[in-house]
Amino acid sequence: MSSDERTGLYVESTIIMTTVRVVSPFVLTFALFVMFHGANSPGGGFQGGVIAGSVVMMLAFAYGIDAARDWLDVRVVAALASGGVLTFAAIGLGTMLLGGNFLEYHLYEQFISHVVAYAIELVELAIGGIVASVAIGLFFLLAAGFGHAVDSPEDES
Amino acid sequence: MTPLEWGIVVLALVGAFFGGVASVGIVRLPDVYTRTHAASKSDTLGAVLAIGAAALAIQTDLATIKAVFLLVFMFLTNPTAAHAVARAAQDQGIEPWTAGDEEGES
Repeated sequence: MSSDERTGLYVESTIIMTTVRVVSPFVLTFALFVMFHGANSPGGGFQGGVIAGSVVMMLAFAYGIDAARDWLDVRVVAALASGGVLTFAAIGLGTMLLGGNFLEYHLYEQFISHVVAYAIELVELAIGGIVASVAIGLFFLLAAGFGHAVDSPEDES
Repeated sequence: MTPLEWGIVVLALVGAFFGGVASVGIVRLPDVYTRTHAASKSDTLGAVLAIGAAALAIQTDLATIKAVFLLVFMFLTNPTAAHAVARAAQDQGIEPWTAGDEEGES
């Protein structure tokens, strides 16, 4: 059992790193493709967000979860999630300020032409950001296991 | 039937055959390494052949290009995922199954 002494220490694999390096730009492009095509074909913010979040998971598998956690600032993830919520709320509530219903896009038509298409894509992008950051956060929480929740200060035990 | 249709049928049938082989391998083989072996090799070949049949059958430009992209990435990522699983298993100290022992001793 010579493998016992290196249990817990992660050693990078050249094969996985190379494949992730080649594939991840395409996956991120595909995530944006799925998000932007949500309005008129299968896809949308939820699916595209999960695909975008899976890029970070692939990087974590290739370079080690701790290295990925150090590389990705948690404030970026939180900003992506809350920024998505704020964008969605601003677009949705803005139409109510103009006297319409929630997400009644065509009321913006007086300011910008073809605004319905832009607003739909913007909402899809916002949803994608929320879903991607929540998926990334859940992944890191699961990877941390139970020990992380005990020693983090903001969690009550 | 035209030669193209014959090609599609043959590709789809061979792909389904390798998919079936992979399923049997995952159910019947004894430990994680041999199951990864079955899942990566036969499953990749079966999926690639089936997608190739679909790409030939669709005949519209954009969808065929998408299918070819899918084929290429399946060919790249599926063996890598199997490699990652086998590596993680080896990292955790799982002993490979060998002829003679019914369950790998720990």
